Amino acid sequence: MIKVKDRKIPWREGMTVADVLSEIGDPYPYAVVRVNEKSVSRPDFERTTVPDGAEVYPIPMVAGG
Amino acid sequence: MQGPTFKEIGAFGYNRAEVDRGYTDQVLSVNLSNSEIVTKPVDERIRKVFVGGKGYDLWLLWNAVKPTTKWDDPENAVCIACGPMGGTTNYPGSGKSIVSTISPLTSAPIDSNVGGFFGPYLKFSGFDALEVTGKAEKEVVVVIDGVDEKVKIIECSGLPEDSYETSRILTEHFGDGKPREISVVSAGQGAKNTLIGCLNFTWFDSARKRVRYKQAGRGGIGTVFTNKNIKAIVARWDKVTLRSNRPADEKSLKEVGKAHSTEIVQLDPKQHEMAVLGTTHLVTIMDDYDLLPTNNFRYGRHPEAANLGQEVYRRLFDKGFDGCWVGCTVACAHGIKDFVPFTGPFKGQKVFVDGPEYETIAGCGSNLGIFDPFTVAEFNFYCDAYGIDTISFGTALAFVMECFEMGLINKEHTGGLDLSFGNRLSALEVLHQMGRGEGFGKIVGQGIRRMKKIFASEFGADAATMQDIGMEAKGLEFSEYITKESLAQQGGYGLALKGPQHDEAWLIFLDMVHGYMPTFEKKAEALHWFPMFRTWFSLCGLCKLPWNDIVPEDNKDTEEPAKVMQHVEWYAKYFSAVTGRETTPEGLITMSETVYNFQRIFNLKMGFGDRANDDIPYRAVGPVTEDEYESRRERYDKQLVEEHEVDIAGKSTAEKLAILRKHREKRYEILKDSVYARRGWTKDGIPTLKTVKRLGIDFPDVLELLESKGVRE
Ligand code: SF4
Repeated sequence: MIKVKDRKIPWREGMTVADVLSEIGDPYPYAVVRVNEKSVSRPDFERTTVPDGAEVYPIPMVAGG
Repeated sequence: MQGPTFKEIGAFGYNRAEVDRGYTDQVLSVNLSNSEIVTKPVDERIRKVFVGGKGYDLWLLWNAVKPTTKWDDPENAVCIACGPMGGTTNYPGSGKSIVSTISPLTSAPIDSNVGGFFGPYLKFSGFDALEVTGKAEKEVVVVIDGVDEKVKIIECSGLPEDSYETSRILTEHFGDGKPREISVVSAGQGAKNTLIGCLNFTWFDSARKRVRYKQAGRGGIGTVFTNKNIKAIVARWDKVTLRSNRPADEKSLKEVGKAHSTEIVQLDPKQHEMAVLGTTHLVTIMDDYDLLPTNNFRYGRHPEAANLGQEVYRRLFDKGFDGCWVGCTVACAHGIKDFVPFTGPFKGQKVFVDGPEYETIAGCGSNLGIFDPFTVAEFNFYCDAYGIDTISFGTALAFVMECFEMGLINKEHTGGLDLSFGNRLSALEVLHQMGRGEGFGKIVGQGIRRMKKIFASEFGADAATMQDIGMEAKGLEFSEYITKESLAQQGGYGLALKGPQHDEAWLIFLDMVHGYMPTFEKKAEALHWFPMFRTWFSLCGLCKLPWNDIVPEDNKDTEEPAKVMQHVEWYAKYFSAVTGRETTPEGLITMSETVYNFQRIFNLKMGFGDRANDDIPYRAVGPVTEDEYESRRERYDKQLVEEHEVDIAGKSTAEKLAILRKHREKRYEILKDSVYARRGWTKDGIPTLKTVKRLGIDFPDVLELLESKGVRE
């Protein structure tokens, strides 16, 4: 299982950040996703895998600076 | 070493004006040339028009200087103000001081928004703002003692040269067993020896039992301060509570403060963990998006960037509460404990490094080709201790390093230093030379604009190349973001009033990553709203980080997510609750617009403030060298073909580079037109008569100035 915000979704081997986002059905173009303590940026969503038990938090990052 | 000695040369007793609805309506004016200390009242119109903070600074400065005033003339003033909400203890980010002066780098007004306890202590001591003019004969400490209702000018000797030790000693001396009651403003020997001096503002960290500091970094304010022979300004105040500002509506203030604070506590751990990591999370994110300045803004990414990333600082930062003012739940002002410098006067001694923040990491790290976090910490420490702005230092040295690698300057000019990218020992030596006031470091400390002249006239370097790669505009060094692929951010830097600092507008993600601003009109709208809203924080004594660095979970689904309107509404409520002046989100924008336009006109008064002064170097706009073009060839080729409909077949890189440049430079000029129109300015970038009348800044001297520039409508 992995936790995305307050939801839980099943984990599978090789699951990427992009997979997680499509699984939760949120089409928002997030710029950054937090996976446990690490930040993953959009260009890396498809090549970054998510470990089992991870806490995932998508961050829109439109502001900041 | 003999201990410091203090001799009082001027004193002024006063009856402290009580704070009411965030204001004391009094300004403290100190003239160091004749040791005159007076208070001046603030009238209703000034309060309404200028609001406070930076607004008050600019008004005081406008009245202090003539169009011919230079930064080192005695009449130049160093102004420090807090703002009506400054000193609030239950709303995150409410303890900022705003400092302004005529900058040695830009020769125009500069402003810096800084943490630490000084601004609130100044206000609670009875003053909305402080202006210091004149020059002391010998080094002095100015003490504003709100507890004893006394202002003193004290000649001092025997204090250390650096700001780090000076702040500690003065806190101990004037705190007399209660260090928490003291906040010190000081610079250091580097501020004296360069034009890029910063000021350190302190607070006493009771948990760590040590003096901490934040910097008013930009534009050489520390240099003006030392030029006036000010060693330090000390404020003393005792008790701080929610009632210290005597808010108009305490209940409403409690509600809104609680809402924002609680949200931060809940969401920060899920978002960027600023309470643990500060702004260091930005390093790898900027690198991922090709936005992290590397080797003088040539490139936006580097394989070793993660060495400077959040995971490293997670381990280096000392754990504990790091708010730079009471009650800030963002608490992002982290530091490194027991750091041991490997060079310079503190070599081998354990010190506490206040920082680094993102800008210092990018400026003194990646932009210099240095990817060692300990070297960055050492730069951070010595820049602060010497009183040098880390951003101007990093950007200026990056320029020097590129000149060195290009062969525009060589070891003969640098006093034998190999200043190629990544040479951390040589880079640190330049910083120490600034501290000692000797060698090539003294030249680098003049800033890029002056270095370009020196390198061309004395070393025979090519002026046109330096114009392209020297990352300064209006005389100020750029802060640390790559803007080549974001036209809006090029405007964010180039059209910023004080020079290229991102505190006016940070639109890169909106523009480049999310593509929210496809048209010139949309970019112009953003370059109106964002600078206005961001200006507002400095009018009120606030930090902008709580506004948009941690955002509500449903913010992305709102109409304009970048504005974080939920928070803007809270800020309007917060302003009304403290001041009793009812306002709305639109009202906040109008407040800022007023001061913003006044500052533009102030630039005009000092001989700047028109279209030509909004130019930026081509490195900020596009690739300067063939090497840069080739490194992102696919991207640039695609743009030429798809956006500009250029047939690139058979064209050399040099030819493509030149065509791209023409297109990009043209776009920047169109952007200027669109923004000027949106802001109510003439084609030459000057506020129209209609604009100044609408905003109530049609003071006689403003109208006279506009008339002299041919602005009659
Ligand atoms: S957010 Fe950070 S910089 Fe701003 S007031 Fe709070 S601690 Fe200081």
